[in-house]
Amino acid sequence: MNRTNPIVQIQGLSKHFGATEALRDVSLDIHTGSITGLLGANGAGKSTLLRHVIGLYLPHKGRCVTFGCKAGRLGPAQLGRIGYVHQEGELLEWMKVGQLVRYVSTYYPNWNHSLEEKYIADYDISTKSRVGSLSPGQRQKLAILLAIGFEPELLILDEPASTLDPVARGQFLDLLLQIIQNENRTIVISSHILSDVEKVIDHAIIMRAGRILRDCSFDELKEEFCRVRISALSGELPAELPFENVVERQQSNGQAVITVKNSSPEQIEQTAEGLKCQVEIQTLPLEDIYKIVVS
Amino acid sequence: MSVLSVNLKHLYQRRSMWLVYLFIGLLALGFVGDLPGSSVGKGHFILLVALEFLIGVYTASMSVEILTKPLSYCLPGHRRVPRKFIFSVGLMTNLVGSLAFLACANLSRWQWVLATCSLFCAGLIMYLIGVGLVFRVRNSGPILGLAFWLLVGVAFLDLHIVAERAIVDHPFVIVLVGLVGSAAVWIWLGDSNWARRFCAISRLGLLDVWDPNKMRQYARKQAASKWDKLKNHPDPWVERFFLGHMNDCDHLGPGRHIWGGLYTTYGVTLSRWKGTLPGCLVALVFVLCLSYLGSEGTNILFLMVGAMVVNMRLPVYSGMAIPGGRNERFFTAIILAGSIVVLVTAVLAVMAVVSVGLAPIMPEITFRGTDLPFHAMSLRLLIVPSLIMPIALALRLMIFRKPLSAIASMSLVVAMMFVFGISSSGRFGTLINPTSLTSLLILGWLALALVLRHICTRRSLVGQGRIY
Repeated sequence: MNRTNPIVQIQGLSKHFGATEALRDVSLDIHTGSITGLLGANGAGKSTLLRHVIGLYLPHKGRCVTFGCKAGRLGPAQLGRIGYVHQEGELLEWMKVGQLVRYVSTYYPNWNHSLEEKYIADYDISTKSRVGSLSPGQRQKLAILLAIGFEPELLILDEPASTLDPVARGQFLDLLLQIIQNENRTIVISSHILSDVEKVIDHAIIMRAGRILRDCSFDELKEEFCRVRISALSGELPAELPFENVVERQQSNGQAVITVKNSSPEQIEQTAEGLKCQVEIQTLPLEDIYKIVVS
Repeated sequence: MSVLSVNLKHLYQRRSMWLVYLFIGLLALGFVGDLPGSSVGKGHFILLVALEFLIGVYTASMSVEILTKPLSYCLPGHRRVPRKFIFSVGLMTNLVGSLAFLACANLSRWQWVLATCSLFCAGLIMYLIGVGLVFRVRNSGPILGLAFWLLVGVAFLDLHIVAERAIVDHPFVIVLVGLVGSAAVWIWLGDSNWARRFCAISRLGLLDVWDPNKMRQYARKQAASKWDKLKNHPDPWVERFFLGHMNDCDHLGPGRHIWGGLYTTYGVTLSRWKGTLPGCLVALVFVLCLSYLGSEGTNILFLMVGAMVVNMRLPVYSGMAIPGGRNERFFTAIILAGSIVVLVTAVLAVMAVVSVGLAPIMPEITFRGTDLPFHAMSLRLLIVPSLIMPIALALRLMIFRKPLSAIASMSLVVAMMFVFGISSSGRFGTLINPTSLTSLLILGWLALALVLRHICTRRSLVGQGRIY
């Protein structure tokens, strides 16, 4: 990841729709080569934020700059380097799949036809079907093809896999892993399927109610929390466990499971030694980290 | 609270129904204001019967909408509620409406009683016809359009006077038909299969036309059957034509996007141009018939042009992922607006030329003792689309998601068209001169350009009800 030149710079961005404040004073940078997971509940502001990046929305306050260009001024030179997939993305219903692919590919002089053919074969997409008669999953596959066919420098995926079946989701993840082999490719993925997202991201942004709660590398986020299973070596565990920064706790009989924040394994083991108990330290899955951060 | 009373709550809880009440209320008010001293024989009382048809259509539409919701299928006791709901509303409204004969001046007391019962049953018959049509057809919208033309036809042929006389002179027949018909419809609506037939089907309610999200969902659900009719369209030559021109343009310039916009707007129509010929012929015959009505006839033509434009959407609000920025959307929209005006003007020009060519040979017709000569379309009218359409398109862009405002804008467009129609007929002839027309032309297109520029540079392009 190249940290010197952010591909997207957002500073103090606020956006409201009527009385609803969708984004509040959001600031973040997305660096070239990063794979950023944008996480948040429904209505957190993820899609709103991503739409600013590609210029579909304009901020009421603050600024959003993509490829050195303000959101309102993005043109073919910048948008031709961005691939965008949205769950409810618009496609031209009356066209056949093949016609739509040819139409969209005409806009991109660097369209990769071999990638297109491979993708169509791998995903079993029928080019003779009418777009309007495709199922939601097939539409999503087509939308993904239209977004990656020109090998964009910035790929924005807004709930790309929500309508895909498990097999297609697995294929999509494999495709994503292939895409990220290119270090110059930047990906921003917003998804509720955190188990998939955590396999690919190296940077995490967690949002709630239009604000950013966390913006850090995924490794930092994972190291921030850990789960500790405590077993008493003899007798019962004390009612009050002297571990610091406990965010969650479950205790019964001679065992306890706690989640701690910002505690190193050495500190935990030292405390456990004092308690005369055995500890097993585990990293948390992203889903559990997310629940703790937003709660 | 019973299931029936919950259903009856729809009558006042659905805000979109207030518009319907306003419309029906105004009609009823106009009728009631005319009542005192009215006598049988002029057909005034038939308006009540016609209103009952409208009320039947709306009541049945609400019932059917509830039946289409999967939740209502599982509700205990709900299968039989639609007919109770429909008959409750029908009986109440007919009871109130039939009392209109109270104001009738030339009926004896005994005649009044019979006529009231007869009017009650006649209204109920029309009400249940409206209900029956809604339950039998796929979508209720066309019923209203059909009803309007039927009313026009009935009034034109004085059938309303005949109907009124039948109600007063043959009350027992009307009452018998009403009772038998009501019983038959009661049994028919009691079929529990209605719930199964309507459950979860895609259906557009009369009140859904104001909801862009529902319209979009409905359009998506209909896509499969609708697009299958396209078969192999658009033709390969259409695709080659447009994609070829796109490829000839610089990929960073607006030209490629303009050609892309033209392709997506006209591709299918161009491919199916042969299929539009029958429609054009029908339109031409219609215009020739209108030509017998003189300038009033051509005003109706403007209505059609305006109604078409109000429903058009320029491709500004779109989330389609192609690399066109806001500037490209602006240029594409302007060019498309111009192309629409050119096409409409060309179609009108063909019609005008044909009517001018046929004028010497078209016969004069006589209707109800009035001689109606053929009036060729005035070629001056060809300026009208250029004047009206940019303003109508600008209004449509600005008020894309507010149903009441959309009604207001449509009314404004219709009013503008009548003003132009009146002006062109010579009554305000001094208003129409090259200077004023040129000024209006420039102002109209300037307004559209400014609105487009504002939207393309300052507004959100997706979400919040904005649809392509």
